Amino acid sequence: MALEKELETYRLKLPELRAEEGKFVLIHDQEVVGTYTSYEDAIKAGYAKYGVSSPFLVKQIQANEQVHFISRFVDPCLTLLSR
Amino acid sequence: MLDAYIGVSQGRRAALLAASEPVPDPQSARALLDTGASCTCVDPSVLARLGIPSTGTTLVNSPTTGTSPQTVNVYDVSIWIPGAIPPPFFLGTVAVAESQLLQSQGFHILLGRDILAYCMVHYSGPLNLVTVSY
Repeated sequence: MALEKELETYRLKLPELRAEEGKFVLIHDQEVVGTYTSYEDAIKAGYAKYGVSSPFLVKQIQANEQVHFISRFVDPCLTLLSR
Repeated sequence: MLDAYIGVSQGRRAALLAASEPVPDPQSARALLDTGASCTCVDPSVLARLGIPSTGTTLVNSPTTGTSPQTVNVYDVSIWIPGAIPPPFFLGTVAVAESQLLQSQGFHILLGRDILAYCMVHYSGPLNLVTVSY
């Protein structure tokens, strides 16, 4: 599954990252590369460092992850985490 | 409902150019304004045409997910919406969630409140008219 390692790294590092809650963390493989004040900055840093062929994760640091609500009937494309 | 274009994000565009790889053309798509959606969703058919990988995940609750939120893939894209008066509305890097069933409902993008937060939306009931300004 894409980003499986990065999501596991985020889960493991979350206790340390909570000090920067609200910022956006860039993770590649098992490395926390950095934190950024905006999603755009984190994405740009990811592509600048890893290009287009190596996966990376950008995630907002949240102790309790925000749930997005969609009132319309759509079928979110689930990741393997949800299956 | 309005016409919009989805392209690769500015960061990915720069990386593609640096690698001398072609930048995919922006994809034209029908978009539905939805104040009932807290995030913007894009049909996987549009994302597939851009050839982009997921760069995140998020939790989503919809009538089809039941009571438990589900983890869905997030993609970084750019979006622009041509208006009656140039320049178009443009966001160079925005996160969108991948959701199916959009195309079967006649649109490919659900423009949620994360993007509408950059706009003024006015609904005139008597005129049956929605106006978006930015």
